[in-house]
Amino acid sequence: MTTQSVLALYTNADYAAEAGEALDNAGFAKEDYDFLTDTPYPEGAFGERHSSHRLYVFPFVGALIGLTTAILLTAGTQISYPLVTGGKPILSIPPMAIITYEGTMLGAILFTIIGIIFESRLPSAKKRIYDDRITEGYIGVVVDCEEDQVNTVEQILTQAGAHEVRREEA
Amino acid sequence: MPNLPPEQDKVQVSVEGRELSSLMVTREVSRDFFAITPAYRRVLLILGVVFLAGIIAIILRFVDGFGVSERAQWGYYSAMFAFLLITAGSAPLVAVAFRLTKNHWRRPFSRISELYAVVGLLSLLWFLPLMALLPPIEGRKTLWVSSNFVGAPLWWDLFAVMFLVICGLGLLVLSAIPDAALLARTGDGGVRSRVLGAVAGFWRGTDAQWRWHRLGLTALGAFYFMLLIMVQTLINVDFVMSLVPGWKDSIMPAHQALAGLQTALGCVLVGAFILRATGRYRDLIPMESFWAISKILLALSLLWGYFWFAGLITFWYGRTPVEQNVLRTFMFESYRVPFLLNFFLSFLVPFVLLMWNPVRKSVIGPTIAGASVIVGAFFMTVRLYVPAFGIEDITSHGLATVPLPIVPDVLDVFIILGGLAGAGLIYMLAIKIIPIMSIWEIKEGLLYQRVRPLLRSRYLVLGKPD
Repeated sequence: MTTQSVLALYTNADYAAEAGEALDNAGFAKEDYDFLTDTPYPEGAFGERHSSHRLYVFPFVGALIGLTTAILLTAGTQISYPLVTGGKPILSIPPMAIITYEGTMLGAILFTIIGIIFESRLPSAKKRIYDDRITEGYIGVVVDCEEDQVNTVEQILTQAGAHEVRREEA
Repeated sequence: MPNLPPEQDKVQVSVEGRELSSLMVTREVSRDFFAITPAYRRVLLILGVVFLAGIIAIILRFVDGFGVSERAQWGYYSAMFAFLLITAGSAPLVAVAFRLTKNHWRRPFSRISELYAVVGLLSLLWFLPLMALLPPIEGRKTLWVSSNFVGAPLWWDLFAVMFLVICGLGLLVLSAIPDAALLARTGDGGVRSRVLGAVAGFWRGTDAQWRWHRLGLTALGAFYFMLLIMVQTLINVDFVMSLVPGWKDSIMPAHQALAGLQTALGCVLVGAFILRATGRYRDLIPMESFWAISKILLALSLLWGYFWFAGLITFWYGRTPVEQNVLRTFMFESYRVPFLLNFFLSFLVPFVLLMWNPVRKSVIGPTIAGASVIVGAFFMTVRLYVPAFGIEDITSHGLATVPLPIVPDVLDVFIILGGLAGAGLIYMLAIKIIPIMSIWEIKEGLLYQRVRPLLRSRYLVLGKPD
């Protein structure tokens, strides 16, 4: 049995939120449907949808790797060529701090970018259902369901006040 | 709630502005983005010609002499680099800072400020010749203690500038993804639409996508801020203070970083004003945004005056021969004219203008103050970087004499004009790849702002979701 994507367009965010509630009541899991918008709505606007992400882990890991590498680089070179300059200690913290700071930042930035790509599941060659009217302010509710559920889904979405409902093979 | 089609669902987000809808925002930005007008081509041509003249001037300067011993004649070149770093390097911070503090008035300014990140590419290229002009650190006081540090100072300075540029571009691209996807879908089907579609076609605006988009912007924005202050400090110490024997000042690097924050606001104000003056986006950039940002500019201008005075007072009371010579060189004798222009344009003019609410509460008032601080910052880089590059004996114990001023020659003038035109050219090219208005942020603003009547007048009511 093939999986279908059903997309309903709403002119009003309230009706889209009601469609989400109706899908919940009909036993659809939160992961089976999603809201498509042209601007970020505040969290919880369409009903609470808790989904975990690991984006914050990436900068921390990157920063740690960058910091460690920079400390090894600066301390390693200083200890390998121990020349006392101006009575300063071999491992002088102020200049080391600059390099460790740069290393930490570079690691954090690169890993954040990697994290964004990872969390967004890029690259994705698969073309997903969409309607260009969402760019004009319509709210889309997209439901991934089995073929035998399509009629039920379309009925729920229409009853919630959909302006238009269409389907596509997922 | 009425079930109106989006084209009729309009809200007023400015007391004096007209009602806006999501569709109107999409259409207005899309129309402007895809239009390549004759005026736009003319501006590109002029900027291109002046930039080319600047490149020729740099080549001629190379022929004149290039190396550590000839660095005095590259003083204005280095000042131009510092100016690009202070202005365009700092400008993306406006979007970062006010997005973090969740201001609504920042929405029209966000992309104008983020787009300055592309000028970072020019700053990076501009920096490369400077690597060959900075004298070795043996025998002089530097931040790096000894030349034993691998790559110090040049490579770490280069990496610092490079990381800042990477972070800025990352921030810009991430911020622009939703708009790129929108323009790809609403576009004319031409080359730019197809390229935007290939880059951002994956974007559909799901809950999860908006969440990682927001988190990514927060993280990269925080890193940009952390990097920017460090880069400004590092460049100031390595390319100004460590070239002046006996100059020990903990306020000067911070003063340059502060000047960067101040000019960041100036860059955004001038950019927004030009957009409005050319008849575009008048409804999307309301006067209220100029009014709000002018208060921050006033505060930073006062802070500029405080930093300058705090730096001066230590040397003024110290009165050692070196301290007196530093003051004479950078402020009161050799470079008195650039200093006075810097002082007036970075502090007095914005302060005197913006202390008046009717001036703040306008479009032109904050713009004049913004333009003033940009020009002031230019003279700040001239009075700092040109004399620092002109000092011959940098290994002596202290600045024994007050050096004569280095007056710009024709090549210097063309190098400066070329640098400015190059920055403008890159920016102008970028606005046809990434829209100059942050569509998704302006539309988000439509959710949280309404003009509502209260008794005999009408006021802007703001929603703060978190």
